Amino acid sequence: MTVEEQIKDIVSRIAHIDKSIMERESTFKEMKADSLDVVQALVAVEEQFDIEIPDEEAQKFRNFGDFVDFVQQEVEKKG
Amino acid sequence: MKPMQGKLALITGSGRGIGKAIALKLASQGCDIVVNYFRRREAAEQTAEELKQLGVKTLLVKANMGDSGKIRDMFDTISSEFGYLDIFIGNAASGVGRPIMEIDEKAWDWTLGINAKALLLCAQRAAGLMDGRNGKIVAISSLGSQFVWPTYAAVGVSKAALEAVTRYLSIEFVPKGIAVNAVSASAVDTEALKFYIREGLVKDVKQTTPVGRMVTPEDVANAVAFLCSEDAYMIRGQTIIVDGGTSVAPWSSVIEKGDS
Repeated sequence: MTVEEQIKDIVSRIAHIDKSIMERESTFKEMKADSLDVVQALVAVEEQFDIEIPDEEAQKFRNFGDFVDFVQQEVEKKG
Repeated sequence: MKPMQGKLALITGSGRGIGKAIALKLASQGCDIVVNYFRRREAAEQTAEELKQLGVKTLLVKANMGDSGKIRDMFDTISSEFGYLDIFIGNAASGVGRPIMEIDEKAWDWTLGINAKALLLCAQRAAGLMDGRNGKIVAISSLGSQFVWPTYAAVGVSKAALEAVTRYLSIEFVPKGIAVNAVSASAVDTEALKFYIREGLVKDVKQTTPVGRMVTPEDVANAVAFLCSEDAYMIRGQTIIVDGGTSVAPWSSVIEKGDS
């Protein structure tokens, strides 16, 4: 399973969002995820991949694609 | 020698805001500091840097106070790095700002978990590290525990629970030589408050505070530092209110300054 697919699984489970509406261009708001959903999804993704996604970085995400790209980079950094 | 030289304090949520002010205040008295943070790493690193410049030992620990496993890990780290603790400040807070009818189970559990349950779990672990050290525990509350603010129900209830936990801890920890109290503040000039102002939930705080200015994080830190001193030895289980008089003069919101 790719990093993107794993993230979709986590976000779908936590925020009860259908994976079919998770497009790279989608914002969390468009996906109807509230701020608690977002925080809990970030925490779950951190634990899944053993990485850190500080709020200072998360605030720069313009859409779901930016989120996926950041996680991908952090996973690659870890090797 | 500074009054808190050789002591160690853990302050949850001390990367910024009130927690940071408490960390700097205790460090200015010589206390070594464990900075706990959850989401804002850069802010926490900045705080740790400022603390080091005050000449105290500093340890940075990331932990979500809503996760009992992470709380356990945090105390395990403190135990292995230091093996003792003198002061625990339960400051980290989170919450979901919604009207009552929109508070779902997830939002309720999140808010109560971080704001109330974490105090219990942390106090239990802190007590084990405070053996024979005249420990101090201070929890940070808010006036929302007693008064009703728009969309503040979940947080207000969690703070009421926190104050009740404080009272029970204060008595049950007497045999352990640990003093437990809380500090409650009205709207404090922090990033969190700016959110409430942006959302239109808080306004004219300066005008409604009898003292004529907002409560600052440093005002709260001063009260916390006092409760951590031996001068406060006989104060147990209390919630000290730091609000510039707001809670005893509710009419100040409807009269002009200077009117009699």
